[in-house]
Amino acid sequence: MNQVGRDFPRLEVRAKVTGRAEYTHHLRLPGMLYGKVFRSTVPHGRILHIDTEAARKLPGVHRVITGEDIKKLIPEPYYGPAFHDQPILALEKVRHVGEPVAVVLASDPHVAEQGVQLISAEYEELPAVYDEVQAMKPDILVHEVLKPAGTFADLKHLKDRGGTNVALDYHLRRGDVDGALAKADHVIEHTFKTQQCLHVAFEPFVSVADPGDSKLTIYTANQSPSFVRIEIARLFGWPENRVRVKVPYVGGGFGGKLYIKLEALVAALAMLVRRPVKIALTMEEQFYVITKHPTTFRIKSGVTKDGRIIARSCEVHWNGGAYADIGPRVAQKSGFTAAGPYDIDNVSVDSYEMYTNRTPAGALRCFGIPQLVWAYESHTDLIAREIGMDPVEFRHKNLLRNGRPQASGTILKDAAIPEVFQALVKRMNWDAPFDRGAGILRRGRGIAIALKAVISPTTSVAVINISADGSITLFTGSVDMGQGSDTAYALIVGEVLGVPAEDVRVVHSDTDVTPYDMGTLGSRSFYHMGNAVRLAAEDARGKLRALATEAGLPEGTNYPPVEIFKKRYGMQAGNVIGTATFLPTYSPPDAQGLSSNVTPFWMVGGAGAEVEVDTETGHVRVLRLVNAADCGKPINPAVARTQLSGAAIMQLGFTLSEAMHLDGGQVTNASLADYKIPGMADIPPIECELVTAEQHNGPFGAKGLGESGTFGVSPAIANAIHDAVGVRIMELPITAEAVLRALRAKEGRPLDDE
Amino acid sequence: MKPPVFDYIAATSTDMAVAALAAAGGEAKIIAGGQSLMPMLSFRLLRPSLLVDINRIPGLAYIEEADTCLRIGALTRHFQIETSPVIARHLPVLSAAMTHVAHLAIRNRGTIGGSLSHGDPAAELPMIAVLLDATLHIESVSGQRAVRAQDFFLDALTVDLDSAEVLAEIILPKLPPNTGWGFEEIARRHGDFAIAAVAATLTVSDGSIRQARIALTGVGPTPVRAAAAETLLIGHALENKLVESVARAVRAAIAPEDDLHASADYRRHLAGVLTDRALHAAWRRAQGEP
Ligand SMILES: Cc1cc2nc3c(=O)[nH]c(=O)nc-3n(C[C@H](O)[C@H](O)[C@H](O)COP(=O)(O)OP(=O)(O)OC[C@H]3O[C@@H](n4cnc5c(N)ncnc54)[C@H](O)[C@@H]3O)c2cc1C
Repeated sequence: MNQVGRDFPRLEVRAKVTGRAEYTHHLRLPGMLYGKVFRSTVPHGRILHIDTEAARKLPGVHRVITGEDIKKLIPEPYYGPAFHDQPILALEKVRHVGEPVAVVLASDPHVAEQGVQLISAEYEELPAVYDEVQAMKPDILVHEVLKPAGTFADLKHLKDRGGTNVALDYHLRRGDVDGALAKADHVIEHTFKTQQCLHVAFEPFVSVADPGDSKLTIYTANQSPSFVRIEIARLFGWPENRVRVKVPYVGGGFGGKLYIKLEALVAALAMLVRRPVKIALTMEEQFYVITKHPTTFRIKSGVTKDGRIIARSCEVHWNGGAYADIGPRVAQKSGFTAAGPYDIDNVSVDSYEMYTNRTPAGALRCFGIPQLVWAYESHTDLIAREIGMDPVEFRHKNLLRNGRPQASGTILKDAAIPEVFQALVKRMNWDAPFDRGAGILRRGRGIAIALKAVISPTTSVAVINISADGSITLFTGSVDMGQGSDTAYALIVGEVLGVPAEDVRVVHSDTDVTPYDMGTLGSRSFYHMGNAVRLAAEDARGKLRALATEAGLPEGTNYPPVEIFKKRYGMQAGNVIGTATFLPTYSPPDAQGLSSNVTPFWMVGGAGAEVEVDTETGHVRVLRLVNAADCGKPINPAVARTQLSGAAIMQLGFTLSEAMHLDGGQVTNASLADYKIPGMADIPPIECELVTAEQHNGPFGAKGLGESGTFGVSPAIANAIHDAVGVRIMELPITAEAVLRALRAKEGRPLDDE
Repeated sequence: MKPPVFDYIAATSTDMAVAALAAAGGEAKIIAGGQSLMPMLSFRLLRPSLLVDINRIPGLAYIEEADTCLRIGALTRHFQIETSPVIARHLPVLSAAMTHVAHLAIRNRGTIGGSLSHGDPAAELPMIAVLLDATLHIESVSGQRAVRAQDFFLDALTVDLDSAEVLAEIILPKLPPNTGWGFEEIARRHGDFAIAAVAATLTVSDGSIRQARIALTGVGPTPVRAAAAETLLIGHALENKLVESVARAVRAAIAPEDDLHASADYRRHLAGVLTDRALHAAWRRAQGEP
């Protein structure tokens, strides 16, 4: 039966369209209290006094909890995937506006909300730092001491240092950059910046904790339930099996719902008051939870006359905000590929994850890669212009190919870089004449391509249960948040066990029954969990055959499973349990930041854009957006294409309109009225091309794809704008005003002169 | 957040509505489409003790053609105005403006009376009311009065309406023959409030402009009529030099401010560019071109 490789509708679409799909927001438990959060109004300060008296007296308020109350329950109430730096509720200091300081609990959420408005706090304000480069100076310290978490294999080397805002610095040295720059015919340097953005999942953060007698159950919209269980157990000093984490469907995550968000808070509250507690944030509150890193990227390249890049140095500062969250991984992991998908012998990378007094930054659809691609593909385009080469030809000349060492030293394998690039060039009709517009409206086109290494080493475990009637249930810790993972795994199980995918039941994360998974993140799941599922299915198939032999059936029998069970157990009884654990090999970077095996697979994605610029207003219309990605062998092409188009739309917002504005640490546009995600009418025609290749070690030749569609969008648009009107935008987002200002500056009459 | 507690009356006549407003002594608010009011209640920017719902008052939503004007009931929804053949025939600049007001779902609920009474500094309807010299009919327990749109908009979100008054009807004079129109807007996204927008009409005979009107929104606390700029056009044919000086006069007539979405400089610049475009469009249409 051929299950894998066909367009297959997602298993849960009917439930979602009819409103029957299970989400944490729907959950109400008997005796449940609602928590509403009182948040810091200062960016950096010492807490002098929290006045909760009036709130406590409000009729209907059950209790008001502060950080000091939590400390009585959990003496060290700090959590985090990289550092244990984030208090469950602020203790002694607040480090960003919006940091949770107290919680009001009531049976009615509106009463709790009213209670919050009656709380006041006094702070001794401290000087604050907001900029990632300024934070290098240690005169304002966000944290006095840091405790590395030691949880994840790739972050074992984090150090406890004081006197700095650097959470992690990653350095890569390959070849002799200075020597090569000295020999280059052209040395070209630029600095690019990106802005702070938000995930804007349709389902805001929500968690419920239920303190049972012998175990605590957490229902939560979270992408990494196994991590939640480990971290909550650690905080309470319990064994893992005292914590149960259940994740139903998740209404979008994009990296925001990774690690701990509200889980530690609801768990602590529930244990304090011995009643179920639910906290559901509003859209506005999300601006104070987790964001996408603003960055400053200084990039310098040495290029020969004939267009070979011989050296590149990259210095990236990541604005991680007040708590590290997974920022250190962003800085390190993306550091491996900061020099781009090019074959460059001499590379240096210096990547710094910085603490500042902003909302924390973490993973957002690609762990930092789009920020890097924005810089290096804009830079690449500018080099081509400067040396007078066509940007396509210039890239062709320098593209990294399989069998060659990538900057990290790992030999490139199964990365369809030239193929993806070729697909883009072809779709864009690069060699055909192009209508450049006339008069006020000018047209241009741009292209960009990028490479990503997946996070490694990480583990996935899958369990398959074949019941005595032959029906199959799959248990995985992957979280389906709309990306179609349930369906993809069902296709794999169907393929291996010879049943239609729609007959496979997929059990969602429930740590009481589903096995460990590192997390649904970074395009890792389909590769890691997909492999685990395939191996578990093969294990089950083997065990079923053994059962047939035990039952005395001849080798190679094609008895249906129910007959095998009946024969073996005398009735419809028993189970076959197949299981597998998948962990790829990995070598950690050495002192030079180099490794022979930095990733089990590479992701390749690129974009092409055609734009029309109104030279009088600066308004940019994207006429066409082409997205291409290496997807190995697609398991479900229909879903793969929507992953590419969804990613492109998301990155389009980050490119043209989205930005969090800050005033004294306060987000001044913390609402969807003023924070501009693209609406349907703002989305241009998007063409997606799945470049089919073979990932030799992927499940049925496939690889992860959830992020590749974001890679090239921003620089492709900036390059197209440059092509159209000859101005270069160095900072995101590319608003109409930014373009107009650049046009006017180029004409030598800056806008302010009017 | 949810609105604070309030009482609610569904009025079935304008008399009932104004009586309820008067009885509440300044603490009541009218609710029409709710598209601006509900967010303000939910953010607790307003805390009225009473909401007077006017949606069930019969005969408050209409578009009527008279000899020299169109009469529009305050409860007429944006979508009815956008799709009305009568308006398309007599006031096509209004039809065009409506497509820039928010999104269809909002236009299905939002009303012309609500938009004018709300007085958002970047809204389209107040600007069109000012452009077309609308007269607003207002009722209260003490009687009726009429206000010119020019005098109605006092400041951002502040209009010449007492808390006990209801805006009942909007009267829009028909455009004279040989009048062309232009409407130009720049917004951050489709359906967003304008960063800047310009609407213009030109009435032309024998190759020269007899009457000119230019109105702007998004470039100050209230919609603006650029009277000095209009005068420059009278008696002339439209040509580029003239447009340049008119655009300059428009830029001089406004006092935009910086906000999250655009700087004052950019808004002022746009005012000039959009004036240029709106005037050229109006001129073309006055010659009978589409
Ligand atoms: C997402 C979004 C985008 C929007 N974008 C735009 C846009 O681009 N351009 C634009 O112009 N508008 C926009 N709007 C606003 C929309 O046009 C509203 O419909 C309009 O501003 C108010 O009309 P309403 O009938 O909903 O009034 P309501 O919200 O019911 O009332 C608004 C105010 O007017 C008062 N009021 C209402 N009717 C009367 C009356 N007859 N007499 C006296 N007082 C009255 C109310 O008391 C209240 O103070 C947008 C709204 C939303 C939600």
